[in-house]
Amino acid sequence: MDMNFVTNLILASVRMATPLIFVSLAELYSQRAGLTNIGLEGLATIGSLVGFMVSLLTDSPILGVLAGMMAGIIVNMVFAYATISLCAEQIVYGMAINIFAPALAAFIYRVYFGSGSSLVQVRLMNTLASTMGITPSNFFARLLLDQTFMVYFAYALVIFTAIYFNKTKSGLNFKAVGEHPKAAATLGINVIRTKYIASIICGALAGMGGAYLTTCYTTTYVDGNIAGRGFIALAAVIFGRWSAGGVLLACLFFGFCDALQIRLQVASFGLPYQFFQMIPYVATVVVLALIGMKKAGPKSCGKPYRKEER
Amino acid sequence: MHKNRLFSVLVPLISVLLAFLVGCIIMAALKANPITALKALWKGAFGSTRNLGTTLARSTPLIFTSLCACFAYRCGVFNLGGEGQFLMGSIACCYVATQSGITGLPGILLCLLAGGIAGGFWAAIPGLLKIYRGQNEMIISIMLNYVATLFMGVVYTNWLREGSVPQTMAVPNETKLTRLFGLRCTSAFVIAVVIGLLIYYFLFNTSMGFQLRAVGLNMTASEFNGFAVKRFILFSFIISGVIAGIGGSAELLGTQFRLINGFGAGYGFDGVAMALIAQLHPLAAILVAIFFAALRVGSTTMQAATGVPTSVSEIIQALVIVFTVAGLALVKLPEFKAFLERLFPARKEA
Amino acid sequence: MKKVFALVLSLVMVLALAAPAFAADKTYKVAMICDSSISDGGWGAACYNAMIDAAAANGWETAYSDSIDQSAYYDTIVSYCDLGYDLIYAPGNQYTDAVLQAAEEYPEIAFALLNGGASTPEKAVNKNVTSLLPNATEIGWIAGALAGLMTETGTIAFIGGMELDTTKGKYAGYKEAAAYVGEKAGKTVKTLDIVYSNSFSASDKGIEFAKAMIDQGADVFFGDASAVDSGARQAIDAANQAVGAIKIYDIAQPADILGQNECIICSQVTDNSSLVGLSMQAVMNGTFGGEVIYGTLENGVLSAGKISDLVPAEIQEQYKAYLEEMIAGTFMQ
Repeated sequence: MDMNFVTNLILASVRMATPLIFVSLAELYSQRAGLTNIGLEGLATIGSLVGFMVSLLTDSPILGVLAGMMAGIIVNMVFAYATISLCAEQIVYGMAINIFAPALAAFIYRVYFGSGSSLVQVRLMNTLASTMGITPSNFFARLLLDQTFMVYFAYALVIFTAIYFNKTKSGLNFKAVGEHPKAAATLGINVIRTKYIASIICGALAGMGGAYLTTCYTTTYVDGNIAGRGFIALAAVIFGRWSAGGVLLACLFFGFCDALQIRLQVASFGLPYQFFQMIPYVATVVVLALIGMKKAGPKSCGKPYRKEER
Repeated sequence: MHKNRLFSVLVPLISVLLAFLVGCIIMAALKANPITALKALWKGAFGSTRNLGTTLARSTPLIFTSLCACFAYRCGVFNLGGEGQFLMGSIACCYVATQSGITGLPGILLCLLAGGIAGGFWAAIPGLLKIYRGQNEMIISIMLNYVATLFMGVVYTNWLREGSVPQTMAVPNETKLTRLFGLRCTSAFVIAVVIGLLIYYFLFNTSMGFQLRAVGLNMTASEFNGFAVKRFILFSFIISGVIAGIGGSAELLGTQFRLINGFGAGYGFDGVAMALIAQLHPLAAILVAIFFAALRVGSTTMQAATGVPTSVSEIIQALVIVFTVAGLALVKLPEFKAFLERLFPARKEA
Repeated sequence: MKKVFALVLSLVMVLALAAPAFAADKTYKVAMICDSSISDGGWGAACYNAMIDAAAANGWETAYSDSIDQSAYYDTIVSYCDLGYDLIYAPGNQYTDAVLQAAEEYPEIAFALLNGGASTPEKAVNKNVTSLLPNATEIGWIAGALAGLMTETGTIAFIGGMELDTTKGKYAGYKEAAAYVGEKAGKTVKTLDIVYSNSFSASDKGIEFAKAMIDQGADVFFGDASAVDSGARQAIDAANQAVGAIKIYDIAQPADILGQNECIICSQVTDNSSLVGLSMQAVMNGTFGGEVIYGTLENGVLSAGKISDLVPAEIQEQYKAYLEEMIAGTFMQ
């Protein structure tokens, strides 16, 4: 096992963790306001497609990311209205989003690009190093400089989220909505508004995570490119115990598993690679089995909030 | 009570109409004639006995998974793990069918039994974590779906692989389920309907079924009344898994014959959605599953005949779910009830 | 009235079947099923275009379903059978079981299996399945000879989609031709073990595979995995850009797509449309069934596409000489 293998493995882990960080933070904001949203897969899919199309049309990956974000918000507003205002069952509605959004994305792609058989490719976002016009040679330069703006943004978001939830009054109020909405309401917090804000943030970040894939990672869009990342993100939130730092570590760990799994396949390793792909899911079940109910996330998650029950 | 019953039929119907309306608008926007397209859809699904057979065959696994979701939800727990249980059932079935050497009717029965046990076992995990650790059964069952899918991947790419394509060996001919009237639909459909009837009988005509529904309606009150709530929860989870597991076996023995990539994908979530649209009524669930299967089978004909892509049919299916779930939540809102009473004050007095 | 009508109708049908001359102005229809996307810029696109070209040449109508799951192969084929399509075109060995099953139930419909096994037509009880079989080893040779000439690190790579016999054949030909050509040029050429993406659509897997293989020193790539190949090319382009020179190359297949990515030095070209065209003519002549139609360098179905300027003139000469040997049947003899 040479050094090159290790450094490249670390670089690949960071690469594969980035979309997970966006989508997991989306879920974190949602759950902190008491909304378990399993529709991440769908939100990321639509974000990915819209991001792809807009960056193709404008030749600007940044606009693509913004458009993906908007698409995520719009679709998540359907979820928000149904679960917050109509008090529909959250998990079921998330599932409905997961069926609806990919069908919509497949349809738009098919109609827009027709049945043409030529490969449509977009320009990817530049890395910091290439914007500065340098070619990083050593490992640390590659890790720190050879990344797109989105990667720095993802880590900045993690730091921001950690500070927001732990050090600011607004963040504590936000968390109160997820823990005890009724108590929060008696303290004068607008529970409904907080939940809608959480849904906007959730849609934006999930859409952004999807758009990352088509503006910073692959130059093409294929149906099903989210490939379960929405559910791995859900797992990362649980595995990271609902804290921004924990979520980051969980994403890096899951990204590492994925990168390792690919390399073991290349190295013709004996054990079936699917066992490595199972790690995020098995880890989540084990964590949930160990921590017990009292610590299992914001208490009002999954429960509808009705004003008049106050 | 009467009003609720009316809504439980009305909401899904209105949702279906709305979804089709949106579908027609999309078709018109694509410059296809919606009427021609819908006719093609109908013809593809029910136009001939052969097509009808295909539709029923496609509905069979959906019936199993929606019954699976129905049963658990009647007891107040959400089993979103239908897909994982379906797959674990089919994996166990595949092992028995290809490795045991027992064929014919005893082979089939053994296969279904093995599938049911494996499904029940897989469902017991979230059930146990729910009652002993108080964990959210939905999240755990979703995670287990992925574990099962990947595990099936190991089976068809490694352990039971046959030949160059990643797939398992085929079930022996003698163990395949017989086709009905030479159509694509097999006796698996009959098994599915019989299980639906049994569940209906159990839930509405036995005292245990009554207790189970009572737990589902109000867990705290049932506990207060001395019902063994935890035992009911675990029981309903396991039975629900058994149904899905038998479904997986029946799908393997009746339709696919081999485990391959994409086997059973999406059936679990589809089943939950269909159970909700059917208002957790086992017999209605069968009809809803046939309706969805028809949309899927017919969409290929529609694409070939009118150029409307099959994804339009998928959008319609998704919208039916989106509208129904929202609609059912809406009619339960106190504001909506108050609104209705203002709208029809006379009816309240009558 | 209805009965009379039905009687007349069935009489017409019997006549139509009995006397092909009556059905001369019938429009024939072909449907393609594909597990990759037809706009993948690789395998799916090439197979789709082959059908379109052959249909245009023979006056057929076409339809297709792409990006379908393995579990939906059979269902999709059967839907087209029920719609009265005359020929089902399935471009890949992975459809064999689904095609055989459908062929048994629909004896009146013709099935063309591109890359089907040599023994598959015999297995079809109704003799209505034809294998269109481009020679996988020769495909591997065409790519391998150039890879062997071009590699500087002495390590070359191959990314497969599914573990199919044809994919293995291409890999074997690629490996042996590269080793042979390299030896002649006085260098040892090592081919990395084949990796499978187990998907034809996961372009992100192509990126990661290619990166991992570049880390192991590979500098010429060939692949058999549709959109996964385009992901690999993206990673190769990125690696070249990082060093500011095109040092890592890719050989494409089965259509000539030179210029799509800057790393492509040549394409191995398979003229699938002539194979599909042959089966269409067989359907129209009523002679369809139970045979294997081979595609080789010799009969012109296989060839090498345009060669990029990245390949030095002297190597181009050597490569063309090797291609001549392959056609003449003297390669590696």
